[in-house]
Amino acid sequence: MCGIVGYIGKKRAAPILVEGLKKLEYRGYDSFGIATMADPIAIFKHEGKISENAPSALTLNGTTGIGHTRWATHGVPNNANAHPHTDCSGRIAIVHNGIIENYAKLKRQLISRGHTFRSDTDTEVIAHLIEEHYKVDLLAAVNATILQLQGSFAILAISSGENRIIAARQASPLVIGIGDGEFFAASDMTPILEYTERAVFLQDGDVADLSPDKVSIYHGTEPVERKTELIDWSFEDTKRGGFPHYMLKEIYEQPQAFYNTVRACPKEMLATLIKKPAQITLVACGSSYHAGLIFRYLLEETCRVPARLEFASEFKYFPPPVNGLVIGITQSGETADTLSALKQAKIHNCWTLAITNVLGSSVSRVADDTVYMRAGPEIGVAATKSFTAQLAVLMQMVTCLSEGNAGDDLLHGHRAIEEVLLRDLTDAINLCRNASSIFFVGRGPFYPVSLEGALKMKEISYIHAEGYAAGEIKHGPFALLSRDTPVVAICMPDETYGVMLSNIKEMKARGAPVIALGLDGDKELTDIVDIFIPLPKTHKFLQVITSLVVLQLLAYHTAVALGRDVDKPRNLAKSVTVE
Amino acid sequence: MQAVILAAGEGMRVRPLTRGRPKALIPVANRPIIGYVIDALVKNGIRDIIVVVGYRKEQVTRYLNLLDVPVTVVVQDKQLGTAHALRCAQPKITGNFLLLPGDNYIDPGSIARIIDTENAMLIREHPYPSNFGVVLLHGGNVTQILEKPEQAPSFMVSTGIFSLTPSFFDYMRENDITDAVTLMLEDGKTLHGIVADDWQDAIYPWDLLKMNARLLPLIQPAREGTISRNATIIGPVRIGKGSTIGPNTVITGPVIIGEDCEIGANCCIMPDTSIGARVRVEPFCMVGNSLVMDDCVIGSHSRIVDSIMSEGSILADHASTCTSASLMEIGDVIIRGSFGAVLGDEVHAGPFTAFKNCIVGNNVKIEGGKRVISSLIPDDTLVI
Repeated sequence: MCGIVGYIGKKRAAPILVEGLKKLEYRGYDSFGIATMADPIAIFKHEGKISENAPSALTLNGTTGIGHTRWATHGVPNNANAHPHTDCSGRIAIVHNGIIENYAKLKRQLISRGHTFRSDTDTEVIAHLIEEHYKVDLLAAVNATILQLQGSFAILAISSGENRIIAARQASPLVIGIGDGEFFAASDMTPILEYTERAVFLQDGDVADLSPDKVSIYHGTEPVERKTELIDWSFEDTKRGGFPHYMLKEIYEQPQAFYNTVRACPKEMLATLIKKPAQITLVACGSSYHAGLIFRYLLEETCRVPARLEFASEFKYFPPPVNGLVIGITQSGETADTLSALKQAKIHNCWTLAITNVLGSSVSRVADDTVYMRAGPEIGVAATKSFTAQLAVLMQMVTCLSEGNAGDDLLHGHRAIEEVLLRDLTDAINLCRNASSIFFVGRGPFYPVSLEGALKMKEISYIHAEGYAAGEIKHGPFALLSRDTPVVAICMPDETYGVMLSNIKEMKARGAPVIALGLDGDKELTDIVDIFIPLPKTHKFLQVITSLVVLQLLAYHTAVALGRDVDKPRNLAKSVTVE
Repeated sequence: MQAVILAAGEGMRVRPLTRGRPKALIPVANRPIIGYVIDALVKNGIRDIIVVVGYRKEQVTRYLNLLDVPVTVVVQDKQLGTAHALRCAQPKITGNFLLLPGDNYIDPGSIARIIDTENAMLIREHPYPSNFGVVLLHGGNVTQILEKPEQAPSFMVSTGIFSLTPSFFDYMRENDITDAVTLMLEDGKTLHGIVADDWQDAIYPWDLLKMNARLLPLIQPAREGTISRNATIIGPVRIGKGSTIGPNTVITGPVIIGEDCEIGANCCIMPDTSIGARVRVEPFCMVGNSLVMDDCVIGSHSRIVDSIMSEGSILADHASTCTSASLMEIGDVIIRGSFGAVLGDEVHAGPFTAFKNCIVGNNVKIEGGKRVISSLIPDDTLVI
């Protein structure tokens, strides 16, 4: 998904475009660019977030311009691949959202006719096609070009010498905003709402001609009338698409994120990587560290291969591994500690692998190999779908090494996640919202799950929460248990079941109310605990995932019940880019 | 023009299919019913769409997010009735508006007919009018609506689609739209009855098969994925990305097959069949006039006809369905439905299971070799 925006009017275009792109950032944010009308056309484009590179973009002059923010799914985000793209002469600039399916063929033909390409994108062919058709009229050139394109597109085009923007749409969203002596074009209303409430929605096959004093719309080459509509949505509503918070939206996107990641995982590459090294070390921070810990348990249990795990920030204080494999896990790909740990590992001749969600992020340039999760942009500060996607990659890795058939189970994992999203947690939420302290306990791989559950709870609900390995409770924390400290216990029928049951009984004996997560139909467990939350019967790997999703939902709903600002918890930032 | 779509109710009569989603979200020809409604509005240039959600609201909102058109989501916390749902959307309504149910198919042409008429409703003849609001007309105007009468005096029924003005809110004293319409008529207001071209409702689960057969011809044929050159494909067939069609498999359209499916070898997919995403149909199967949703598995040598399989259902080898009609008790009515089997989410059946005219609840596990005949098996049952 990408976002585009265009402005034509009397004001300077650059600030309006930059502000607009910031609002479209939820559609993707790995590179951006703007072009403004001048002779020749002035272009600024840059990889990375617009919020960090805006000042240099603001210097462009001109009262007409187009802009683009990109979320790369194919082809790395770098300066060359960022939009806008130009023709050979640099006199025509375009931005594009969508996919041109026949671009490879068009590109070959254009190259054979002498055009020079500067990027790997499908978009650039559009610029060169317009160049070929361009005589005096940009509108005619765009009209001729779109006949040759197959696929989906929303295009904005400008050419130096003509003060107009030509907009065309086919199966990608595009809306025209009607202001006073100024006009806008954008992927959706979010960048426009600040300036005008009047909008025209283009239909498939429409081409709009925006000039400073009027907008004309054509279908084919015939002029058509499209109704102007009044829009009264607020900006925040549009972005969250009807969900009260990003976090809830992202929790519900997990089945898709998990499936996409499992499917896209480069298994052969992982298999060769993970089989050869003398030692496997993982470095990560925050939730990613918990993902690493889960990986360690699963790897050691399933494959009998030991692995080392360090907080990225502590990595430098230990003697470094030599000739091993070092895996860095970071959602944003920008976590400073993880970056420096990987750099250090490389100095010691380790092969480095990064697992990240953002294509072309810093970590992918530092690491020797990179595996991308397919979670899509994550906006909520509390990691949810990126966490399950990290686990999807790590579990695929374990599967590669074990040569077992868990891969098939992983491919159906989204079903189990979908299933637990239906759980009614009302009783558990009511218990947690009145607590001043909550303990999360589990054994084996469910120990890191309880760490993550506690982290989610404290970061968004501000209730003090601690995760413990169930056996450790008796070494201290036991003293804190009372009627007012609920315990969330994860108790699965594996080799730890019997001892977990007796742990739960002991905690019950101290008066602590117990919320248990167990497998559906577990009568014995249901009888001894206060609240039982059933999880579907699945592969062990998926039990880890489903119990996590339940704990995310518990933290979310508890925080909402307490009236917390879930998406912007106090004192926290999405990615920590300082050490 | 604004449009309000009501998608808050569960649709209890189509249980067990509504466990994880309301009726409006049930996929027919691989697309949730509400998707067709929104499409019909957009084709008429209506962009300001308000959707009232309630039951499984997150699942509905997640689907709406995937659409190109931004829609405004309004939550009805308790499902107290259709008028109550409309009242939840009232603060967002600024002028004349259309009111539509999210769980009925409507074609764009019919919407065009009422869009410019104030106070109008779309009506349509139906062979079983007693399931609906029966409409009495005089000179093209509605004189009375009788909600689900035992003896229907006419075959003309309400589609639940209205073109209304904000003054309609003055009549909303009860929780149902029909009551408000009755009050409005008693007050002497005119309500035009306009006949719809095409409108489909599914009252009971097996009605979805009819809706499926009606909507399948509208698909855009496409051949993506990997299709064996020894496979035969006839008629309008849409095969999604990443799907494989094995050798000697014959697919006779209209048929839609979603993404990442595995069909065949040696399978017959007969007309009026929708197959969702990630479905596996093992060799030597026949599937016809059926709705197979995402993540299902049909074991080899199975025959699935006139049936609905909800998400994640797994049939081992040699499963078969036998179409017949028997009396079913649904809610407080006893009704005859002709179909093979309706399986809820995650139904797992062992080898050689035969289904004859039965509705199997969610999470039901059936041991091999069983015959499940003319019954309604509740959720989470173990059949041994």
